[in-house]
Amino acid sequence: MSIELWASILAGAIVLATPLVIAGLGEGFVERAGRLNLGIEGMMILGAFVAVFVASFAGLVAGLVAAMLTGLVLAALMNLVVYRLGANEIVVGLAITMLGLGLSTYLYQLWVPAGQTNVSVPTAPKLDLGILTDIPLIGPALFGQSPLVYGALVLAIAAWAVFRFTRFGLQVRAVGADPTSAALRGVRPRQIGAQTLLIGGALAGLAGSVITLGSIGAFSPDITAGRGYIVLAIVIMGRMTPVGIAIGALLFGFLQSFSLLAQSTAIQLPSELYQTFPYAITLIVLVLTSRAALRRHLGRHVRSKPGRTQSLTPA
Amino acid sequence: MSGRVRGWMLAGSVVVAVLVVATVLILLAGADPLTGLQGLIAGVSSSPYRVGELLVGAVPIAIVALTLIPALRAGVFSVGAEGQVIFGAIFATAATLGTAGLFGEGVPAPVYWVIGMVSGALGGAAFALLPAWLAERWHVNIILSTLLLNYIAAGFLGWTLRTWLASDENTATPQSPQLPEASALPDLIPGTRAHIGVLLIIVVAVLFEWWRRTSQATRIGVFAERPRLALRLGTTRARTLYGTMLVSGAGAGVVGWLQVAGVNERLFNSVSGGVGFSGLAVALLGALLPGGILLAALFFSALTAGALGIQSATGTVPSSIADVIKGVLLLGVAAVAGVTARSGAARPAAAPPLTDVASVAPDGEPTPAAASVSAGTEERS
Repeated sequence: MSIELWASILAGAIVLATPLVIAGLGEGFVERAGRLNLGIEGMMILGAFVAVFVASFAGLVAGLVAAMLTGLVLAALMNLVVYRLGANEIVVGLAITMLGLGLSTYLYQLWVPAGQTNVSVPTAPKLDLGILTDIPLIGPALFGQSPLVYGALVLAIAAWAVFRFTRFGLQVRAVGADPTSAALRGVRPRQIGAQTLLIGGALAGLAGSVITLGSIGAFSPDITAGRGYIVLAIVIMGRMTPVGIAIGALLFGFLQSFSLLAQSTAIQLPSELYQTFPYAITLIVLVLTSRAALRRHLGRHVRSKPGRTQSLTPA
Repeated sequence: MSGRVRGWMLAGSVVVAVLVVATVLILLAGADPLTGLQGLIAGVSSSPYRVGELLVGAVPIAIVALTLIPALRAGVFSVGAEGQVIFGAIFATAATLGTAGLFGEGVPAPVYWVIGMVSGALGGAAFALLPAWLAERWHVNIILSTLLLNYIAAGFLGWTLRTWLASDENTATPQSPQLPEASALPDLIPGTRAHIGVLLIIVVAVLFEWWRRTSQATRIGVFAERPRLALRLGTTRARTLYGTMLVSGAGAGVVGWLQVAGVNERLFNSVSGGVGFSGLAVALLGALLPGGILLAALFFSALTAGALGIQSATGTVPSSIADVIKGVLLLGVAAVAGVTARSGAARPAAAPPLTDVASVAPDGEPTPAAASVSAGTEERS
């Protein structure tokens, strides 16, 4: 494989990782607060559609904002049904996904009836830093991306800072770790939980719009292809930390980019193998991280038993 | 206000919500909602063929749903029926074609049916075993593992239909060879696609009703709430996980066989066609209102068939309106179940439990997921 191919694999990896990073950071907040948003897929795909639709008459930025609002509305609906009315989190998450998939397909088919050519909008322009972009291998990947990619990076740093330095970040962690004692100390678990879910929804919507407005410029039904579920796996793999989530997303983006581009090379393997490769690797990494989490859990258990001191077991 | 009246009012509000959403969607398409309604009715009932389609659509969904109930009751949230249907279909097709290849002509039809059904069940169960094992051994979240495995199953089917099970004929869409004539399930209603396989739903429903009354069903219900108590009652986490996953896998696998032997008599990439997800949705609807599964499955099937009727009656309304309505319905029923459970009016055993068994540790201690939350907090504070 040539260096040009590797350069485009790396550049593609970053493009494919971007929506996963954005949605993953949002879900990181949600899960840190002890909740689960299984509706990410639906929020992403409806955001992806709304973004193209709005961008077609109001421009790129309006499309991104509209997608965020779409995710926000679905998250607010989920918050109402699950945490106000007491419905099951998992069932409602699946229902939101069904709703998002159905609604995006329906509205798209109204907008572009069967047989008409698909509407496409201009994608976010790519950066060109001249000499930096011309660096072989990593130049295009690091310095020739659309502003959305750098936006995701800023978002990851912001999420890290929120957890590390702000009161809100601490409250989220407190609510997730022990809602009862958090409430005793004046934190409102419901309110914090709702806020994280709204953040998660808005970011899921934004992530959907990054898929359509960032690189493709058009919508098609089922364009997210299960990436909302991949996000959930990435959040577990990244142990809910912004850095871990970003690394997990980059890993998945790289695998997907590799499997898309490696098909065209001399390595002759069945194309289905390439298509399922990212999912299979995600599953394997999920197994490895779940195992590690279990080990840590059991290890802590041993440590906390009476008669054993902390110093006897390695930290 | 009595609980019953309240329950009916809540159920009524879901119906109203569904009707409002459907009306708005049809108006958005610039069509007349009444024309749409006529189309819906025509799509379901205008000819015997349509009625047959209703059954052909409802039975697979209902079988998937009924066999998923033990898992859902136990809090084992498997989303893997799609993949299990696919593996059941592959196994059934391969076994049927293999039998025909070995013994040639003259294998009686019932032998084919037994072979197809058993191998379908085995295929689905085998594919369900993997996430069960991962959850039992390493506490891998079963929602995620089953979701990911669905994609892997779809890829495997695509490869299968291009290679070892590919048809010799030159066809545009990948498909398996035609199954031998004797293995195909005969029509139940002449002139329709309804095959005698739809009668299998009676068998599954009877088995389910029997199971519901066994002590195992009770133990599983207890397990979801209090794993430790369930242990004293004689069921372990491993047994619950493997047992419920095998049942749901076998059910989905049988559906895979039904779709091949009953409908197309060939294996296509589209064999699962959303049956797995619809089955899960119907199981959730039905688990909330026991005995309603068959009704819910018929309703789902009617929506799919009726939406095609709406599309042809109005000309502008896409048939994907059915998917939106299914989502609204599931959301509404989940909300009603939440409200009634909270007010204490509902039978609590009817609602699927909130816990996810995949994250319940053997001793009922905090889950690894929860543990990693607190671990993360410790690291940072």
